[in-house]
Amino acid sequence: MQVINTVADSDVAVKVTSLSKRFPNGTLALDNVSLEVPRGQVLALIGLSGSGKSTLLRTLNGLHAPTGGKVVVQGTDVSTANGKSLRKLRHHIGFVFQQFGLVGRATCMENVLVGSLGSLRGPRLGVRSYPVALRRKALEQLERVGLSEQAFQRADTLSGGQMQRVAIARSLMQEPSVLLADEPVASLDPESANQVLDLILRIAREDGMTVICTLHQVELALGWSDRIVGLRAGQVVLDQMNAQLSQDQVMEVYRATGTPMQFETESALQSA
Amino acid sequence: MSPSATRERLSPPITATQVQLFIFTVACVAAFVWSWIFLGMSFSGITSSFGDVSRLVKRMVPPDFSNLSNIVDATIETVWMAVMGTAGAIVLSFPLALGAARNTSPHPTIRYICRTVISLTRAVPDLVLGAVFVSALSIGPLPGVLALAIHSIGMVGKLFADAIEQAAEAPREATISVGATRRQTTRASILPQAMPSMIATALFRLEINIRASTVLGLVGAGGIGVLIQTSLRSLDYESALGAVAVIFVVVTAVELLSVRIRSAILGDAAALAQSSRHGWFSQRIIARDTRVNRKSFETRALSPPWTWDRMFSTATISGFLLALAVAVLTIDIDWARTVPLMPQIITVFGDLFPPDFTTVRSEMVTGIVESVVIAVIATGLGLLIAVPLSLLAARNIMTKRILSTVTRLVMLAFRGIPELIIAVIFVSAMGLGPVPGTLALTVVTASFSAKLFAEALEEVDAAPREAVLAVGAGKIQEFFASVVPQFMPAFTGHFLYILDVNLRSSTVLGIVGGGGIGFLLLNSMRVLEFQTTGAIVMAIFGIVLAIELIGNWVRQLLR
Ligand SMILES: Nc1ncnc2c1ncn2[C@@H]1O[C@H](COP(=O)(O)OP(=O)(O)OP(=O)(O)O)[C@@H](O)[C@H]1O
Ligand SMILES: [Mg+2]
Repeated sequence: MQVINTVADSDVAVKVTSLSKRFPNGTLALDNVSLEVPRGQVLALIGLSGSGKSTLLRTLNGLHAPTGGKVVVQGTDVSTANGKSLRKLRHHIGFVFQQFGLVGRATCMENVLVGSLGSLRGPRLGVRSYPVALRRKALEQLERVGLSEQAFQRADTLSGGQMQRVAIARSLMQEPSVLLADEPVASLDPESANQVLDLILRIAREDGMTVICTLHQVELALGWSDRIVGLRAGQVVLDQMNAQLSQDQVMEVYRATGTPMQFETESALQSA
Repeated sequence: MSPSATRERLSPPITATQVQLFIFTVACVAAFVWSWIFLGMSFSGITSSFGDVSRLVKRMVPPDFSNLSNIVDATIETVWMAVMGTAGAIVLSFPLALGAARNTSPHPTIRYICRTVISLTRAVPDLVLGAVFVSALSIGPLPGVLALAIHSIGMVGKLFADAIEQAAEAPREATISVGATRRQTTRASILPQAMPSMIATALFRLEINIRASTVLGLVGAGGIGVLIQTSLRSLDYESALGAVAVIFVVVTAVELLSVRIRSAILGDAAALAQSSRHGWFSQRIIARDTRVNRKSFETRALSPPWTWDRMFSTATISGFLLALAVAVLTIDIDWARTVPLMPQIITVFGDLFPPDFTTVRSEMVTGIVESVVIAVIATGLGLLIAVPLSLLAARNIMTKRILSTVTRLVMLAFRGIPELIIAVIFVSAMGLGPVPGTLALTVVTASFSAKLFAEALEEVDAAPREAVLAVGAGKIQEFFASVVPQFMPAFTGHFLYILDVNLRSSTVLGIVGGGGIGFLLLNSMRVLEFQTTGAIVMAIFGIVLAIELIGNWVRQLLR
């Protein structure tokens, strides 16, 4: 396995060292994971259902606390950060959820403005409670994802692809240096999926943003990312730059391990 | 782009809906402030009132149970009245609901008539009905049972009709397409689907009716209520508390039981299984159901398998029928004497017409204004207390389990005493007048709405909350950005509902000296001026109808 650690420390966006996560119910979701992601890289995270992809992403911005090892994002140690410093760090990490995480009854504009809460003091309710400068910025983000027309439409009136674009606009509002995306296209049709991934890629290139994105479609991952990391039962089993990879090597991640996952693996292979 | 155009696009457009909601909000606040001034309320006054009440409560302890056998007899009568009243309501509501539901009604005219009858019954408070029936049938539990049965149609009939309308169209079309008659269609496709919801409604009404029947005694319609009032009047405070304690136990037990049974019947078993707290038991239930279902499939059984849900529903229905049988057989009603008196009810209702608005006009206007004012203040103050309480009680907001549990217990304790009983106690402590009535209603409003709000808060979708936290928002920011917008519609809906309930309650507070139109109402019946009674009932009816119209308007704005 090729290890990628040929970059200087200041150019490292995310550094994970011997990370493990055991949930209170005993599940070991991450098992001694080490990973170093240079600035500006677009990384696809693949693996079977339950292999720990979501857990890894959530640990990166402190939604889950690790039970062992160390997570450093943008020079901040997430594992020891708490309260204020964690909020400050999160403000610079975008997170895109599979189910979008929009407030359905609020307008798109307000959902995007939520992305700026980390830079504001005190609670906000309604678009008018945000400073005009931020509103202008929110509108720009909506323009970037092609939804400025829908700015004052309620979020729950949008299509799935549009909702995910609003969610991306919300992340962009944070001016993130790292974007974490957990299956951002899993609930979208192929056309919208392509649109959303292209959008993320374009912005990553424009802004020099680091992207870590879990994906279920191997072809998408191959065509889209710089680097692929495969997880199996909480361990890193593949970590290579995209150019050196073949589809077969990637499918290897989904191969049976003699665990009860065998059934799922076989069906995954057949459908591939 | 011109500066003005930019500014326009940076603020949401103001819609007609928002303007109307704004007007409604301003009107509510204005009504509250005006009412507050009208009654001469003040916070220091409220504090000293609660001082009076706590002094009275101190004199009530320790409770005196020497009269226990009487209390228990009266309590049993109260429960049987509620059971019979609910049964009557179910029997009467069922045909009305079939006539009122869009998908089963034979004709639009019939549908309209059924709908009207259903809302009419809801508009007349059960205590008023009780008083009217007492004057026709003389005192005893029967007038109480009839009052409960008729007043309950308003809720039971409406919810039954809703349940029938919600029964999906698809199976119905399938049944029609095989050539079934209308009645067969109703039986085969609609009722089975509406059944669980209907059973839950009936149970919920039974719970409400048990509370209601504890106070029917105040107008001579049977049950335990009169015992408390007599004890308080004769300054026998310890006995009063004894009776209140028994009511408290019964009402609380019924609420806890009814909530459990309802959630089991409405199929929350699956939801329970997901939460780890109930893991073991629900796992067993689900495992058993799966086994039973598979077996009946394998053996090609022709009748549905006895799943947990089905056993539960059947047990509930049998239990209710059994209770009903015992109630009919043992309750102290002289059927042979009273049944022939039934036609007199119609005579008494006839006596209400034509309503006579002249005799006590100015008193009537004052009474009605006072009732509305009481309801407005009780609703406003009650909500001010309920919102923070509900935040403490909602387990997804207040993550310290102990605090939320304690809050829940306190709320449950207050709900255990029916509102008119609280009013009787407040009036005894503070003297006659609208302020004790208002405060009693406030306490009840607070504990009931806190429960409704806490439930609504717990239903808030967690996904946006997590997403907002992930952008680095603080806890309070997250609450306003994701919880408040999700909670608003439920809050407004419950607010309208509570205002509606309080308006009805405030019209009867006067019966125990708590202010409002109720006193005049009861008095007109005592002095046999039934046409004045008719006028007052019409006036109450008008208020209730008005608030219902306002409610419909606001609900439609929120859609
Ligand atoms: N809050 C939790 N409590 C206990 N166990 C959990 C929790 N969250 C995840 N797990 C367990 O941790 C393991 C990894 O889960 P994770 O959600 O990270 O998988 P995933 O790779 O994202 O799967 P998927 O592709 O289905 O989203 C699973 O076995 C899962 O059951
Ligand atoms: Mg996942």
